[in-house]
Order: sequence, then structure tokens, then C-alpha cells
Amino acid sequence: MEIALMDNLWVVIGTFLVFLMLGGFILLEAGSTRMKNAGHIAGKTIFTAGIGSLVFWAVGYGFIYGDGNWFIGLSNFFYGDASFSGEGLSPAVDFMFQMMFALVAMTIAFGGFAERAKLSSYVIFAILFSAVIYPVVAHWIWGGGWLADHGKQDFAGSTVVHLTGAMAALAATLVLKPRIGKYNKDGSSNDLAGHNQVFTALGVLLLWVGWFGFNGASTFAVEGAFFGFAILNTQLAAAAGAIVAMFVAWVLTGKADVPTTLNGALAGLVAITAPAGFVNPWAAVVIGAIGGFIVVFSMKMFDKAKIDDPIFALSVHGTVGVWGTLANGLFTVPEFAFTGQAGLFYGGGFTQLGVQALGVVTSGLYAFVVAFVILKVMDKVMGGIRVTEEEEIVGLDLSEHGGYGYPENIPHPNDQKGA
Amino acid sequence: MNNYTDISHWRQESIKHVSTNHYNLNTLHDEVIRKTVEVAMKKVQREWGSSPAPFAFFLMGSAGRFEQSVWSDQDHGIIFDGNADCEEYFLKLGSEIAVALEMVGYETCEGKVMASNPLWCQSIADWKQQISDWLEEASWTSLRHFSTFIDSRVLVGDNNFINEIKKLAFTIINNEPRLYLRLVENVDFIKKGVGVLGQLLPESSGEQSGKIQLKQTTFFPYVNSLRLLALKESVTDSSTIARFNKIKEKYPSIYSFEKYFIQLLQFRLNFQQDVRSYQQVHLIPLDKLTKQNKKELKLLMKKGYDLFSDTKKIIENECSAWL
Repeated sequence: MEIALMDNLWVVIGTFLVFLMLGGFILLEAGSTRMKNAGHIAGKTIFTAGIGSLVFWAVGYGFIYGDGNWFIGLSNFFYGDASFSGEGLSPAVDFMFQMMFALVAMTIAFGGFAERAKLSSYVIFAILFSAVIYPVVAHWIWGGGWLADHGKQDFAGSTVVHLTGAMAALAATLVLKPRIGKYNKDGSSNDLAGHNQVFTALGVLLLWVGWFGFNGASTFAVEGAFFGFAILNTQLAAAAGAIVAMFVAWVLTGKADVPTTLNGALAGLVAITAPAGFVNPWAAVVIGAIGGFIVVFSMKMFDKAKIDDPIFALSVHGTVGVWGTLANGLFTVPEFAFTGQAGLFYGGGFTQLGVQALGVVTSGLYAFVVAFVILKVMDKVMGGIRVTEEEEIVGLDLSEHGGYGYPENIPHPNDQKGA
Repeated sequence: MNNYTDISHWRQESIKHVSTNHYNLNTLHDEVIRKTVEVAMKKVQREWGSSPAPFAFFLMGSAGRFEQSVWSDQDHGIIFDGNADCEEYFLKLGSEIAVALEMVGYETCEGKVMASNPLWCQSIADWKQQISDWLEEASWTSLRHFSTFIDSRVLVGDNNFINEIKKLAFTIINNEPRLYLRLVENVDFIKKGVGVLGQLLPESSGEQSGKIQLKQTTFFPYVNSLRLLALKESVTDSSTIARFNKIKEKYPSIYSFEKYFIQLLQFRLNFQQDVRSYQQVHLIPLDKLTKQNKKELKLLMKKGYDLFSDTKKIIENECSAWL
């Protein structure tokens, strides 16, 4: 009983940490975008967290963990239960922890909306993402769906949370098209620099700390203190990612670019999310380092393909989410493989790698296609999900909320002095 | 040629014949600017009367160094031998020259280093005070202004006006060697042109992405090094090549870099035949360079960095001996 209570306490602490990651996203996104959109970026994270929470309570949790079929769960809607059997997690604790993951995935998806989507499109998409995109993928892998049957390994959600969020972000950025001024007529790309690197760095640090709950509490238990091992791997991967990304940026451009370094740390964290409890520390360093390496090239690749990704969600959570998931197929240690098999480098052959690849392709494809269709329909029905050119230029703080996040620093357009 | 339109046409017609030869190109620029200034002087004379005092019109920047490319912006000033009452007249002349040069094909200077700006249009006495103030202040901006002035040469008027002021500057700096070190610091930042893997580093974003900034990455180390050594050796010449020649006996190792600078001047001209504006003149698209061109450019960059490093050592060693 005492151990069970400690399990619950630990997972609640994890819940708090993961929820605080939304604070990290607020700082990260606001810092990575322009001043005229800062209030909007911060505020929408709070109200979409509200929407996501209610939808997850109503249907999301049931679609993931309810009794159902290989595709989706179909019970436990409008979930609420004060019971506790004395073993494992109480239903409410488990529910709250799972809800935080759904909110993080949704916030990642909204990275693709940044600086040009209507507020109303956030509202509608928050509902639909929390109801029919995230829960389906989560059911497949964590809720006893068809990928769980194959032994797919995803310790804390490289695929479920990060890839799903990123694929929705990709769909959004394709439907919304690049921000005004991002690309020139000759095809060259402008750097629409974020307005506050200090915010961005603080955001990354807050996410980093939150990740200890994200990965650490995904042990769901304190027995054996295995959560410490998952946290150790998390720390090592993030550290390696930051260093490698900064080094690669310096080698390629001659400058140790700060946003790239910050994305490197996040890449390390995303990469280790699936393998955190499956691999040895040396492998965590390698996984994080490769995450930091590929995130730089992924950012360049999307930019070259004229896919405007203001918060780098596609690279950090998408490309690296794929890498993190595949890394299990290479580095999983036999004694940690509580589900699935050992990785290629531990004599497991290509089986686990194949399962991981299957999971990435199907989950990624599902999230992208459904998000794309939803956004296209929304675009038609709502008369466009993007603000007008004038609204985008004046900034979403003013056009969508009626006041600037930094009112003292930006003159109000109607405050022109007369003669 | 008595009007700016004729001069502009003449410039356009003539420049294509000299655009691949550094010396002839710069001689043409001098001729075009001289004729333009003469027409401007006549115009001002008609409207405001004769010059109230003797004066010299001088060039700075790449024109001052006789290192202009096909396109160039304006960098010029006026020095007059008169009292403060004359200033109004010469500022009018400076403004007319700036407008005229723009009409003829030289963009106005974004930094307003033009004789139309009171900062660059002063009497001999005021110029002397100005130089003294700049060196006394020794801030980043004041030393930038000072370095700009040191690259000056008279195009119209008495050359001694400028030389007199330059000699004053040499005296001040010689009496205060720490200024050499401050001047080194002022130009110490060099934009990287080659990465650690030996690759060229073009601009990474914006309309200039994929293009090499030749001025900042390659020219500056040569130009700044020779300016520093010219100051140290009290050389009044403004062109980098003339400065190389003046210091060759004392610093033969530095002189050995002259051939690379000459090669660089030619390299730049080879890539400017299709350039249509000043904004593009210092940019070389990476994809237009052959393997051999890239190798040559990297060599020129590397030699520039070596030259600047050697120059720094010379100045730091010699100054520490004085201090």
C-alpha cells in the first residue's frame, strides 16, 4: 500500500512537471516569434489547454484507454473516478498524467499555426486534435491497440506525443502557407528572427526540467527507483544534443547560432523520449548527439523546401521524433525490453527496428492525413483558417485579441497624431 | 560636357571598355567624378557666387583608395581654408555634388559620408580640431570616422590641405601609441568567409543567401592592415597598393602579400561584368564559382587573414615596446 501511494505521488509530481512544460512552450514559442504576436502565442496556449482538457475528459481518454478494438477505445467517456484499489495508480492520477501528454502533443501541433492562424481555427482544431487525432495514435501504441500487439516501444512518447504533434503541425503549415515576408520572389528565404532569445532559452530550460517528469514518471512506479535511470538518460541526451547542434552550426556557418543550439537540446530530449527506459547511458549520449546533428539539417531542409516552420516543430518533434523511435530498434538493451525485443546492436536483429519503423510510418501518416483533411475542411467551411494580410502585418495580438503583448513597445496603428 | 546627363551617358559608354582593368577603371571613375564636381562648382558659382575661400574636394572609401569597382557609392568631403562664414557656401557645394554624383551613377552614402554633411565639410582649423577630438575620444564610432578620413585623397584642389591634417594625426598617434592598439581593436572583427571544413561561407538567409560578401570577408583584412601600417609609418598615400610600396623596405614580409591583393582586385572585376547595381557589387554568387575560382578565393581569404594577423603582431609588439 505504501509503495502504491508513493507511485501515485511520483506520477502526480510528474503530472505537475509535464503541465509546466506548457509554460516552457509559451516562452519558447513567444521568444521564437515576433513581438507583435507574443501575447497571442502565450494566451492561446492557455485557452487551448482548457479546450484540450475538457475534450480529453469527455472523449479523449476513452478513445485511448477504453475497451474497444485494435483501432480505438470506446468506453470510459466523461471519465471521473475517486476509487483507488490500493495497487498501481489511482484512476484519477493516471488520467491526469495522460491528459498532460495530450496537451503537450496539441501544443506541438500548434507550432505549425504560429503567427498567421485565426484564433477560431485554434479553437476548432484543439477540439478535433484532442478527440480524433492524438487518442487514436495513443490507443494504437499505449492503449492496447494494434501497434502495442506488435511490441512497439515508446517509453514516453517520441511517436505518440512528438511525431503526432509534429505531423499535425506539418499539415497546418502546408495548409496555412508561409508567413508574409518569409520567402522572396527569387525563392530565397528570410530569417524572421524571434524577438527574444532569452525567452526561448528559458523555455527550453523549463521544457528540459519538465521532461524529467515526462520521461521519469513514465515508469509509473517508484519501485527499483528506475525513474532515476530514465532521468539520467534524459539529461545525457539533452546535453549531447545541445553541444552537437551548436558545434554543427558553427562548422557549417562559422557561427554558434543560439536558436540552433536551443533546438539541439530539445532534439536530444525528443530523441530520448522513446528510448529513455530502454537504453544504456552511453547510448543516450549517442541518441541525443545524433538528434542534435540531424535537427540542424532538418531545419535547413524544410526551409529549402519552402515549408515555413516558425518554431521548428517539424524538425525538433517530427524528424527527431522519428529518429528517437527508430533508435529503440538499434539500442534497446535486452533486460530493459519490458515490451518488444532487444535492438539491433544487442543481438535483437532487425525485428524491433522494423516494428519501430512500422509505428513511425503508420502513426505519422495517420496524424498527417487526418490533420490535413480536417484543416482543409476547416479552411473551406470557415472561409480560410488564416488571418488577412492586414491582420498578419499588424500582428495577431491586435487583430485577434485587441491589444498588444507589449503595449508600450509597439505604437497602436490608430494612434497617428493629426495636424 | 556641361551637364550631368552628358557625363552619365559618357560614364555608361566608357565604363564597359575599362571594366576588366583595375587601373583604367579607377582612372575613369576619377575623371567622371572630377568632371561632375567641376560642373557642380560652376552651377553653385552661378547661383551663389565665387568660392569664398580656397578649398579641396577629397574622396574617401574605395574611391579614396583608388579601389572602386564597376559600381560604387559616394564617400567624399571638403576642406576649406577660411572661417566659419564660408561653411554655408561649401555645404551648398557639397549638396550639389552629392545630387550630381547620384545622377551620374554613384549612389549616396548610407552613412552620410558626403561633403553635404557638416561633419565632412569643414575648415582646415576645424578639421584639425576634429581629428584631435576623434583620437581623444577613441570610441568605436570616432575611430571609424578617423579611419575613413585617413583613406582620403584630394581630387580637386590643393593636396597639401589633406596632407597637413594627416601629418597632425600621425603626430598625435605617435605621441600616444595606445591609439594604435585601439585602432587594431576597431577593425579586429573579420567576418568569416571560410568554415572549419574549408568550405566557403555564403550568406545564409535573405535575398543575398548563397552569395559571398567579398568586401567584409576578403577585402577588409588587406585594406585595414595596410591602413594600420600606413598610420604607423606616417604614409600619407591612401591606396592600399601605394601603402604596400611605401612600407616594403621596413616590412618585406608584409609586402609579400601585395601580389594577393592585386590578384583580389582582378578576381572581383572578373565577377562584376553583369552586375547592375551597387548593392550587388560586393556579392559573388557561390554557384557561379568554378572549383578553381573557389580555390583561388579561399587562398585570397586565407592570405588576408594571415596578413591581418601578422600586422596585428607587428603593431602589438612595437607598441608594447613603446608603452
